[in-house]
Amino acid sequence: MASTDYVAGTDNPTDVDYTASTNDDATDTDDTAPPDPFLPSRIDRAAIAVVRVGVGLLWLQNLGWKIPPNFGQGDPPEGLYLSTTYAVSHEVLHPYTWLVEQVVLPNFTIFAWIVLLVEASLGAFLTFGLATRFWALVGIAQTVVIMLTVLNAPNEWIWSYLLMLLVHAALFATAAGRYAGLDGVLRPEWQRSRSWLPRLLVRAS
Amino acid sequence: MAALPVVVAPIAGACVMKPHDALDRSALVLGVVSIASALFVFASGELEVVRVQVAGVVVALVLGLLAIAAGWLESRTLIFAAGLGFLVAAGVQLGLLARGSGGFLGGNASTFSLWLGLGFGLIAIGMVPRPEPAEEIALEDQNASVIAPSTDG
Repeated sequence: MASTDYVAGTDNPTDVDYTASTNDDATDTDDTAPPDPFLPSRIDRAAIAVVRVGVGLLWLQNLGWKIPPNFGQGDPPEGLYLSTTYAVSHEVLHPYTWLVEQVVLPNFTIFAWIVLLVEASLGAFLTFGLATRFWALVGIAQTVVIMLTVLNAPNEWIWSYLLMLLVHAALFATAAGRYAGLDGVLRPEWQRSRSWLPRLLVRAS
Repeated sequence: MAALPVVVAPIAGACVMKPHDALDRSALVLGVVSIASALFVFASGELEVVRVQVAGVVVALVLGLLAIAAGWLESRTLIFAAGLGFLVAAGVQLGLLARGSGGFLGGNASTFSLWLGLGFGLIAIGMVPRPEPAEEIALEDQNASVIAPSTDG
């Protein structure tokens, strides 16, 4: 990325690195310099950190109604099982409805555990800002799944899910874990390493 | 900006900032987060972002204090141990949920998620290799010599 003019609207120009580069190659990293900021001012960085923690807590709190081991299977159905049946009773996309009816619901417990583990991980990693860009992408995917399941159900508001998509896109675009998050603290160490896991985490953060 | 404390600190007679201070501070902050999470024992309804009840409060307080101590003492081993403790607690909570209730820990899947994050976070911090004491002294000397003004005529 070429150098960017951050002068306009910047309230603390000394925080700006005018030679910032998005290249994650470790050879470009100056070990004594602060991390390259995508966001030019402290207010911007604090705001995106608040957004990231808020999104993490959103996933975390919504685990409360996904209750193992049955996840709402029973008479009457409730919880996650009831929500999943909306994909059939209130179809959004026919192929997805077929998949839910033929594959997911007959093996519901397995898929419910997968949902629980994925959303628990979203809550965990976004709240603390670890491998944030990767988990932002996972959040987008999970939001799409939720949309396809419940979008046409009663009392749903499409903008809830569009906003979720947009906020996860923002977390990805800004690499939000680098601000008041573990990605920001650990990336310099990961960039110094030659091992595969730290280098993968550099990409994921 | 990173060099500023190295310039000011010798003049002020304060300690020079070590390379891994941010990591130890992060461990300390995660410990504070864990202790703060115990406050949710007083929350209900929509305010109950994470369920922390019964023995879960003890877990949050004990492991939170361990993480704080680990960060304060700059001990990579203790940081790792605290992280492992949170992951074990998360695993136990998940096992109890699979059996049909929050069990003696009293939590739910949100509790599992919180401890999962704290666990992985502390372990990620604890896995960062620390320099040997001799290397750290050499690095501090290098920083000080880079910043010190030249006295050549």
